[in-house]
Amino acid sequence: MRLVIRQALLLSFKDTRLFFKDRFAMGFALLFPILFIVAFSLALGDLGPEDEQLRMAVATEEESGFSREVIDVLTVSDATGVDEWDPKDAGLALHEGRIPGYLLFPVDFTQRIFSGEGTEILVVTADGDPETEAVLGGLAHSIGGRIGTLSLAARGVTELEGLGSLDLVKLGQLGTAPPSIVFTTEQVGDVEPFNATNFTLPGYLTMFLFFAAALGAEAIARERQTQTLERLLSNGVRRSAIVAGKVLASIYRGLIQLAFLWALGIFAFSIDFGVSPVAVIAVSVLMAVASSAFGVMLASLVRTVKSASSAAVLASLTLAPLGGCWWPLFITPDWMQAIGRLTPHGWANDAFNKLMLFGAEGQDVLVHMAALLLFAAAFLAIAVVRFRTVSAN
Amino acid sequence: MARMEDFLAATGLTKSFDSVQVVDSVSFTVRSQEIFGLLGPNGAGKTTTIRMLSTVLDPDDGDVTIGGHLVAKESDAVRKLIGVCPQELALYPELSAIDNLVFFGRMAGLSGSEAKESAADVLERVGLTDRAKDAVRKYSGGMKRRVNIAIALMSRPQLLFLDEPTVGIDPQSRNHIFDTVLALRDEGMTVLYTTHYMEEADRLCDRIAIMDEGRIIALGTPAELKAQVGDADTTTLEEVFLSLTGRSLRD
Ligand SMILES: Nc1ncnc2c1ncn2[C@@H]1O[C@H](COP(=O)(O)OP(=O)(O)OP(=O)(O)O)[C@@H](O)[C@H]1O
Ligand SMILES: [Mg+2]
Repeated sequence: MRLVIRQALLLSFKDTRLFFKDRFAMGFALLFPILFIVAFSLALGDLGPEDEQLRMAVATEEESGFSREVIDVLTVSDATGVDEWDPKDAGLALHEGRIPGYLLFPVDFTQRIFSGEGTEILVVTADGDPETEAVLGGLAHSIGGRIGTLSLAARGVTELEGLGSLDLVKLGQLGTAPPSIVFTTEQVGDVEPFNATNFTLPGYLTMFLFFAAALGAEAIARERQTQTLERLLSNGVRRSAIVAGKVLASIYRGLIQLAFLWALGIFAFSIDFGVSPVAVIAVSVLMAVASSAFGVMLASLVRTVKSASSAAVLASLTLAPLGGCWWPLFITPDWMQAIGRLTPHGWANDAFNKLMLFGAEGQDVLVHMAALLLFAAAFLAIAVVRFRTVSAN
Repeated sequence: MARMEDFLAATGLTKSFDSVQVVDSVSFTVRSQEIFGLLGPNGAGKTTTIRMLSTVLDPDDGDVTIGGHLVAKESDAVRKLIGVCPQELALYPELSAIDNLVFFGRMAGLSGSEAKESAADVLERVGLTDRAKDAVRKYSGGMKRRVNIAIALMSRPQLLFLDEPTVGIDPQSRNHIFDTVLALRDEGMTVLYTTHYMEEADRLCDRIAIMDEGRIIALGTPAELKAQVGDADTTTLEEVFLSLTGRSLRD
């Protein structure tokens, strides 16, 4: 046992040295995700130049209901930059050019949430004013996110933040079906209360953690081809030590990625870890472990270097969207969420979203952590059983 | 059945992949301090045989004794006696020669200082001391081959497996490798050498087994093999192979 540990550690240290010498691998693991995170955070307006004190108008056709609550919160202080308008006045003001546009909650906004048919927020702007459309769209999305919070709250998973005064009894009646919100615009813009990076960063972190680990299969397949693995075997290195060393090395690389990307998030994007930063870190580490086990499993299933890389790319690019790396799973239909749960990504992202967007606590994501561990164990078991050191050349 | 002077004895070694028999009841012995050649065309089963001898692959049938230890039962004891130089460049090109040597030495159970000491020794032996700190990636083909051999020498083995150690290199490096192998033998090492170069086997090996399609079709000293076919002085091993199989060795 001590021998195996020594061998595994020596192997993993050597692999880590090789990682630091491999510019492509480093770039792929560290720079690529940064590019994606920056690009998508920019696209969501997070880094964009602040609009000079643009004030936003909201109006509701409802006498009472959700929209009232939402507006009360949005207009609670002048600093939010949101004013409430009477629907008719708002239409007139827009027509006369006094406001660039406004958000309108239709008269059946709340009722449609309760009926489960999906509700709607209208973004009303002058024709050909994409900028305002984007800004208001962003606000609408932010509200959508909050409504998402509500539906989760109704299931008792998270605490309510910001929208404290809602009628929890009514929410209880929502049952389990989350309301889906339709926006009249697809564009999103910069809205203070919603930091897009809180979603994009964990998403791309998850994707690239997995991607880099999966591509690790390529290096293992190459070692099989160049006979370094059998050289080790004939040197007295245990097969289990080789498997463990490979998994460990991949985990180290994952941890380097995590340190790098979380630091980026904190310092460059002021991401919010929520009430339980430890849980966020723990989930990400478990994702690194599961991904590493997957990479080694992949190496033990494929024959050639080429098939290792194609399988890695294929798996990474299918599992990322299915697992909610590109868009939040909570806005997708139930069946897609169910598919998401078949992937480690889905569990990781769901946990990140709960922790970082919806104010969940560590204990709320214990199930997610257990799921990630289970994935890791299953991948590892297959890797151990199927690991081959010899290739047919 | 192993005689005292037999360092390695293989009996009835058999291996198939996907129901194709790649090595078929191969039996031979390698005597202490001899250079034993395993000669055969591509796909003859040389590498597969070496893998079974060197504890990497389990044979479907047959057994191997090395230094008095049964490979199937005492693989750890066997591993302490052997060094393997695989057919491929089994090393990390991004690391320097010395780092490769120290790494594999440590994986073979040497301590850090033992590994460094041994690395300096073997580098000297293969004539790479000057370039020891350069990444192997920057070496010439011949130098890479020499590192490949050097790694196999790290744990000072008693039996050295060399699987086509001179493929694709210039005559100078090749001669250097020949000299190294002969010197090792003279110092008491036993060598199992595979190749498909006839002249190489003729020049280097004390005894040769010719392998084809998984079977050993002839075994003896170069002179004995040639005598089977014609005049030992004028016949080449190429002609021996040709007459035994009806086709040329290098197809
Ligand atoms: N792990 C494996 N799985 C399937 N087939 C294999 C495997 N290893 C070897 N083979 C096949 O067995 C046959 C013998 O291979 P082997 O490598 O032992 O030959 P060789 O004599 O070393 O040839 P070469 O001179 O090309 O190195 C080849 O046809 C090869 O494709
Ligand atoms: Mg071979």
